[in-house]
Amino acid sequence: MALYQSIASGIVTGCVYALVALSVVLIFKASEVVNFAGGEFVMLGAYGGLIALSLFHLPYIAAFAFSALALFLLGAAFNRLVLRTVLQRARRGQRTLVALVITTLGLSYALKGATRLFSYTEELRKLPPAFNGPPIFVGPVVLQRQDIAIVVISFGLMFALYLFFQRTTIGKALRGTSQNPRAAVLLGIPVQRMQLISWGIACAISGIGGVLIGAKLTISPDFGSQVTLLAFAAAIIGGFTSLPGVVIGGILLGVIQNLVGVAFSSSAIAVTPFVVIMLVLVFRPQGLLGGRYRIKKV
Amino acid sequence: MVVLLAGALLPAYVSEYYLYLGNVLMMYAVLAIGLDILMGWTGQFAFAHTAFFGIGCYTTALLNLRFGVPFTLGMPLGALLAGSVGVVVAIPATRMRDIYLALATFAFAEGMYWVFNTWESVTGGPNGVRIAASNVFGFAVGTDAGAFPVSAFLLAIMIVFTMYISRSRFGREMAAVRESEPVAMASGVDVRRIKIVAFGISAIYAGVAGGMFTLAQSFVNPEQFGFSTGILALSMIVVGGMGRLPGVLIGVAILGLLPEVLRTTLRSFQVWQELVYGLILMLTIIFMPDGIWGAVLNLRARLANRRTAASKGNKA
Repeated sequence: MALYQSIASGIVTGCVYALVALSVVLIFKASEVVNFAGGEFVMLGAYGGLIALSLFHLPYIAAFAFSALALFLLGAAFNRLVLRTVLQRARRGQRTLVALVITTLGLSYALKGATRLFSYTEELRKLPPAFNGPPIFVGPVVLQRQDIAIVVISFGLMFALYLFFQRTTIGKALRGTSQNPRAAVLLGIPVQRMQLISWGIACAISGIGGVLIGAKLTISPDFGSQVTLLAFAAAIIGGFTSLPGVVIGGILLGVIQNLVGVAFSSSAIAVTPFVVIMLVLVFRPQGLLGGRYRIKKV
Repeated sequence: MVVLLAGALLPAYVSEYYLYLGNVLMMYAVLAIGLDILMGWTGQFAFAHTAFFGIGCYTTALLNLRFGVPFTLGMPLGALLAGSVGVVVAIPATRMRDIYLALATFAFAEGMYWVFNTWESVTGGPNGVRIAASNVFGFAVGTDAGAFPVSAFLLAIMIVFTMYISRSRFGREMAAVRESEPVAMASGVDVRRIKIVAFGISAIYAGVAGGMFTLAQSFVNPEQFGFSTGILALSMIVVGGMGRLPGVLIGVAILGLLPEVLRTTLRSFQVWQELVYGLILMLTIIFMPDGIWGAVLNLRARLANRRTAASKGNKA
């Protein structure tokens, strides 16, 4: 019965991985930046929720809104102030890629360092769970209410994103920008503003992910880098460019991790994402739903 | 030459602390030059360096500790093992490009880090291993003063070797691969072979750096081969100037000394370190995309231009 239980809790953590990976992939699609600071956004989101809940005594809904808004502004500001300049100045080609990775790594260090400046973060803390009450039994599986809330909120957010991209004008413009920036410019879409919005939305998703996971894990300035790695693994399983693929990748990763924990040892959980990344890249580099592996022409 | 001379003379005059710093810097120099051969010259964005660094270090240290193999044999063996693992990793990795290569090699490095941490019977796990004094041609080297000339000698050899490759046909082929793979292929360069060999050479440098680590240190633990060391080496070549030897050495000196300078000037150094470090990385990329050495070269070219323009103006 431990099997079903571990699959269930794998789905719960997998949902949060999927959210963070969604944020990484949104950013990659919008601006071809692989965001090494993704985990730090989650970490800040968790602290944002913590501040809203325990310092300002706001209700949980407001905590989500607070974190999402704060992270939206942070992401948009980073895109506008730093990234745009880097892209303008860096030379094309391989060097741009290195420059972008170094920039987001720099951001990740800076955010981590800035968080540590506040003595509030010295103590390890946890968000109070949003949904208390006795766990629910489904057959042999015990489900905490908080876990059910995580799954429901994650899927709600994903569905909202789907509607946003399919139905709204801004969403369509964002998709156009990521598919073909040059054509988007010709159609009169303000590409730079679209990239800014994408960064904002992606960071806001990370922030909400942070509030969700903050109630399950203890938060510290350091926990972001682990999250970044998990998000990369989820994104690679999904194919790095496909949003539905990433959701599946995240949930799969959560389940695989838990199964590895049951089958081998709990210390093997830590290495699972890396093994998964290597296996997927060697045997199916396009991921599950990544489409054809494109080879760039000269 | 300067490095060799310094290696011979400095230990007699300088305090132990500066010798320690020198040893650390020289080790990072070898590591960073190796990374630069792969990234700056061949244009392969690979993250696996800490793994090779660790393999070199553990091999040298454990051969010495368990079997009494002297440094003069153990270090080359460690470098060779690192190089062979590098080639094995390169065979699948060179089929990927850009960010996929970066993530795959990064995953490999993290996997090795996990191995260093978990394989307790060999590496001592997270507690690390205490290592014995190295035996260099019959002399026991366990102090910073003793390690300094050896490190200087190794760095000098690696620099000379680097300059030799950079002028060889192989060096030009690597540059061709970096600039454009299809063009290089069309000019008859075996792109895959060049990439694999570059991976191997670069891993050998990392292995040598790992060997150098065992000279002055008395303790190895996996922490030293984690993500942050890899980022440090990467930052060194980016801040100094990728693809150019003087740039790499400048980067090593600046980022290697920075923590020491911060420690003496800032009281709450630990807290500020990451923030300062992150800002330096972002500001370098914004204001000096080609690193410090690139900026210097740019400035020099601009001054030369102005001078020729001025002299032409005088004649007219």
